[in-house]
Amino acid sequence: MHIVKQLMSIPGVIAAGEFAYRGDRFSYEGALTDEYARMASILCRGNTLSVNMQSEIIDSFAENCGCRPVQGWIVRGGQVTVCAVGNYFSFIENRDELLNDVMTIMRAKVGDLHDDLLANLYARLGGDTKEALY
Amino acid sequence: MNLEKMMDLPGALAAFTYSDRGELLSHVLREGTELSPQVLDLLAHSCVANLAIASMEARGWEAVTGQTGFQPLKGFSVVGLEWSVVVNGNCGVVVRNRDVDYEATFNAVQAA
Repeated sequence: MHIVKQLMSIPGVIAAGEFAYRGDRFSYEGALTDEYARMASILCRGNTLSVNMQSEIIDSFAENCGCRPVQGWIVRGGQVTVCAVGNYFSFIENRDELLNDVMTIMRAKVGDLHDDLLANLYARLGGDTKEALY
Repeated sequence: MNLEKMMDLPGALAAFTYSDRGELLSHVLREGTELSPQVLDLLAHSCVANLAIASMEARGWEAVTGQTGFQPLKGFSVVGLEWSVVVNGNCGVVVRNRDVDYEATFNAVQAA
């Protein structure tokens, strides 16, 4: 089952989607409008690029310390949590054990990310920004 | 803030506190870990920046979309290849990915 559909089948997952590393093309399911999903995709790509840059700096001081390449990030809000793993994101409610379940599924389905991620992240924006991935 | 208690979290490799400017104030490291005080200091600086950015994004998202539940921010985590760092306020924990319990770790840094 596709990762987004699998995530959306879990009670408490508000929305999930995929964003393109090279631009802001995206696909999603759940309680977002097209415009909000576009904004979420840009936000997730920006944060992913930022934490990857930070991990490169940390790695230059302590090579192979275990931080690089970054696999994802989590923002824990008051009632909602945003998770990103690779180029997938999900908005979830703060329910007991939901965050652990969602992160386990996302890490398992996306798999370990490798250094080629950075080449894609650092590539300049291009293409039709309104175009959907699928 | 009890860093030794933080080290009881599943997979904890390090626990640390930092100032509002990101300077490392105190830390505990698990023996044998590749982490160092210098890495924790860099992590602390990046975590302060990430918390500020996430807070700005949460405010902006709520204002633009009308959706609620993102504020107040209760923490931020970066998931690395082998470990994750989870921070909130002026406290952070580094936890091994294969053992991590994100819920418990976020709750711990929130309570600290």
